[in-house]
Amino acid sequence: MIAGRRLDTLRSNLLLTVVCLVWVVPLVWALGTSVRAPGEPVGTGFLWLPGRPSLANFAEAWSAAPFVTYYLNTIVICGGILAVQLFTITLAGYAFARVPFPGRELLFSLFILQLMLPLTVLAVPNFLTMRDLHLINTKLAIMLPYMASGFGVFLMRQAFRSVPLELEEAGRLDGCQWWQVLWHVYLPLTRPALVAFGLVSVTFHWNDFLWPLLVTNTPNARPLTVGLASFALAGENGAQFPLIMAGTLLVMAPLLLGFFLFQRQFVSSFIRSGIR
Amino acid sequence: MQLELPATSLPSAGLQSLRFRVTAGRFAYGLLLILPSLVFLLPFTVWPAIKVVVSSLFLADIAHPQPSFIGLGNFAAEFGNEVFWQVMRNTVLFAGFTVPLSIGLALLLAVEVNKKLRLVGVFRTALFYPTILPTVGAAAIWLFVYAPGLGLADRFLGLFGSYDHNWLGDPALVLPALMVMMIWKQTGYFMVFYLAGLQGLPQEVFEAAALDGARGWRMLRSLTIPLLSGTTVFVSTIALIDSFQTVDQLFILTQGGPNNASNLLLFWLYQEGFRNFNFGRASAVTVIMMALLLAVSLVNYRQLDRAAHYES
Amino acid sequence: MARVVLDRVTKKFGEVAAVNDVSLTVFDREFLVLVGPSGCGKSTILRLVAGLEDVSSGEIRVGDGLVNDVAPKDRDIAMVFQNYALYPHMSVFDNLAFSLKLRRVPKQQIRQRVQQTAATLGLEGLLERKPKQLSGGQRQRVALGRAIVREPQVFLMDEPLSNLDAQLRVQTRAELIKLHRRLEATVIYVTHDQVEAMTMGSRIAVMRDGVLQQMDTPTGLYDRPANMFVAGFIGSPSMNFLSGRLERHNGSLQVTAGDLVLDLPPERAAGADSANTQEVVVGVRPEDVQPAASLVPNGHRPINASVDVVEHMGNEKFVYLSLANASLVARIDVSCPASAGENLPVVVDAGKIHLFHPATEEAIF
Repeated sequence: MIAGRRLDTLRSNLLLTVVCLVWVVPLVWALGTSVRAPGEPVGTGFLWLPGRPSLANFAEAWSAAPFVTYYLNTIVICGGILAVQLFTITLAGYAFARVPFPGRELLFSLFILQLMLPLTVLAVPNFLTMRDLHLINTKLAIMLPYMASGFGVFLMRQAFRSVPLELEEAGRLDGCQWWQVLWHVYLPLTRPALVAFGLVSVTFHWNDFLWPLLVTNTPNARPLTVGLASFALAGENGAQFPLIMAGTLLVMAPLLLGFFLFQRQFVSSFIRSGIR
Repeated sequence: MQLELPATSLPSAGLQSLRFRVTAGRFAYGLLLILPSLVFLLPFTVWPAIKVVVSSLFLADIAHPQPSFIGLGNFAAEFGNEVFWQVMRNTVLFAGFTVPLSIGLALLLAVEVNKKLRLVGVFRTALFYPTILPTVGAAAIWLFVYAPGLGLADRFLGLFGSYDHNWLGDPALVLPALMVMMIWKQTGYFMVFYLAGLQGLPQEVFEAAALDGARGWRMLRSLTIPLLSGTTVFVSTIALIDSFQTVDQLFILTQGGPNNASNLLLFWLYQEGFRNFNFGRASAVTVIMMALLLAVSLVNYRQLDRAAHYES
Repeated sequence: MARVVLDRVTKKFGEVAAVNDVSLTVFDREFLVLVGPSGCGKSTILRLVAGLEDVSSGEIRVGDGLVNDVAPKDRDIAMVFQNYALYPHMSVFDNLAFSLKLRRVPKQQIRQRVQQTAATLGLEGLLERKPKQLSGGQRQRVALGRAIVREPQVFLMDEPLSNLDAQLRVQTRAELIKLHRRLEATVIYVTHDQVEAMTMGSRIAVMRDGVLQQMDTPTGLYDRPANMFVAGFIGSPSMNFLSGRLERHNGSLQVTAGDLVLDLPPERAAGADSANTQEVVVGVRPEDVQPAASLVPNGHRPINASVDVVEHMGNEKFVYLSLANASLVARIDVSCPASAGENLPVVVDAGKIHLFHPATEEAIF
């Protein structure tokens, strides 16, 4: 029995090691390639890893494309969307959880509709709307459609429902206006849900590609992903792979770093994102 | 006792208006709270969903800047187009392989990383991290992986002999190549749902089965998989919806080529709208896409109650 | 001046009237207990007074003002919830201080009032703790403190002791009564426990199915129940009910219930006459059934009964008796011999029985 268990553990470790190696190798290889000294041919050396690590490719990538603008754009877009979302989903989530009013179910189904029909699918009509509003090539055009979040409203509705109703009633008797009940009672108690939403939202918008691509046509308004795509497509030959990998890692670095630091939080947040 | 009050008495009329005031107040209050969301939801989700159905019935391309009604003409044009059918075939194939493969692998890996292993944290991290990468960035890495002769794929196969595949340029290889990347990107995400599901299962059942002598594959097939069927339905719908929306990596890796061999529905939608500038036909494809997603989502919506079970 | 007046108040949830045409007045500084079985509407009344629900019809006045349309926060009412409803993310200090902060009371004064309240309730050492780190009894005191610190006109308490264990409940009951005396505030207290009601209330309102059955002092309710429901609900063990007949015999009025034949005293006969019925329900409190040996049979005819069960309570015992075609519970002195299976002749004090109308269940006297 004991021997069987040990064998079982050994087999699991072996299997997982092999699979995880396959999973990690692309990233490690991209990293290895990106720190190759300029001129050193790709795919040479022990385990195809570079002989003399160098950050030259990162410096070159940084100057070869307007990454500063891209970075700022992405930060503004993610931050702007999140700020407005936190406001809209808190209010709507509260209404759907705790304010019974006629038409509530019908209105809620509109938010479910957004869960079912993501923006990428409705890109054509939304693009035409942005064109009519003369918002093409603005960060606002990228942000506007995301500022109401069906996912967020759904999440916050669940979270608010888990707060005992008596606490709201105690708050109201203690002298709270409705917004004070939200601020002092509900929000402190639903912070985990808000944090989870924030993580998923920022990750999603940091990585979003098609919609920003459609409504922008110059680097001025473009986020990192769209910038990276044009950067990668511009130099699609072997010699430039180290440069492309450096650029790619520059784009992914903040999220990767955040993930490695706060894995648990990321995983539990993404489990909540399964609603759609 | 009730009869003391005449039916026409003023208090009762006042009461009616009070009740109306309360209901109206509630409605106004509820609407006020939802208003900030509606300001964005109505013009950018509800209205476009309606508008696109209408515009799918109009001819609107470069030659016709003024849209004119053509009924189901756009749909007929799509259904008469060989490329459309090629795209549909690709989309179905893509989903048909990636969904079951990534889910099966996810379940298998979840069972493994649910065991008490010393490096279990490292394993979970290694499997999950592709989830948080931007698809475009991941695609850039895989572009390099698939680079003919030079890339990781060919170099690895080179260890066993000489290989020089044009992974992304060969119509026979391109779709499988995209599938492999998709499975790599998503399996970890599905795995954590199974992991949460596994951790919610009663441990005694497994202990009892172990005492009965069930092990390994037998335990998996006759206990774990049936007990996790709820999770499987849930994960399958997510996987299906995601797979229908695959598009970002095509911009980096293949542009739908060669010869539409890797063209998927959402990329075709993009091409109709923003390369061919045929917004009428793009609208028709959108409507088809919407119908597909709503069908899958309606099945999923019934499962939403289950979603609550992952929340803790 | 904090009277609370309910004037013909009705609250409907859909078609169901949770509170049906209730009128009652709670006097200033009174400790009124609302009692009744679960679902009788007592908690709904509390929530209506608090403003957590809107009335469907009728008027509620607190002090001198009509509060139908006044928000809960402006009614100057504090409530102690059954599950305490302490804010889990705030320390005890912040729980107590919250309402004062919202009312923009100066910081110095907040500190002072919180500390004073904490001292009153013995919470001084716990101010920095979170509710999760407190025992049930401590939480209960914090909930009380949160109400007291505001110095409101009216306290509402919704079964505040029901989550405490039996011993602590009795202890807290006494403390609450003392507290009420010191605070000199109006209290409306909801409970389903008639013992709690009898021991705490200066007056008690008994509710059933949304309807106010009777409102009186504890002794008033016990001695003069308005109907069978109140008679049966108040007192433990419950009042015995026997179906019987009124008959005139030798010029005096007699009530007969099986073996039990009682001559009604003349002063009560008049009331029975006016009831205009022959069929009655006879109500007998357990303490009014006594062993024949212990009483001088002054017009009381002993009846034969056999003892089924005896419950020893220490200072007294409850004896469950079988009559020819009825059963009775007697509450007798512990020194009286009675054991299961034996015969025990008993007498019933005719001067203390209650008669009820069998159809309306209303008291005849």
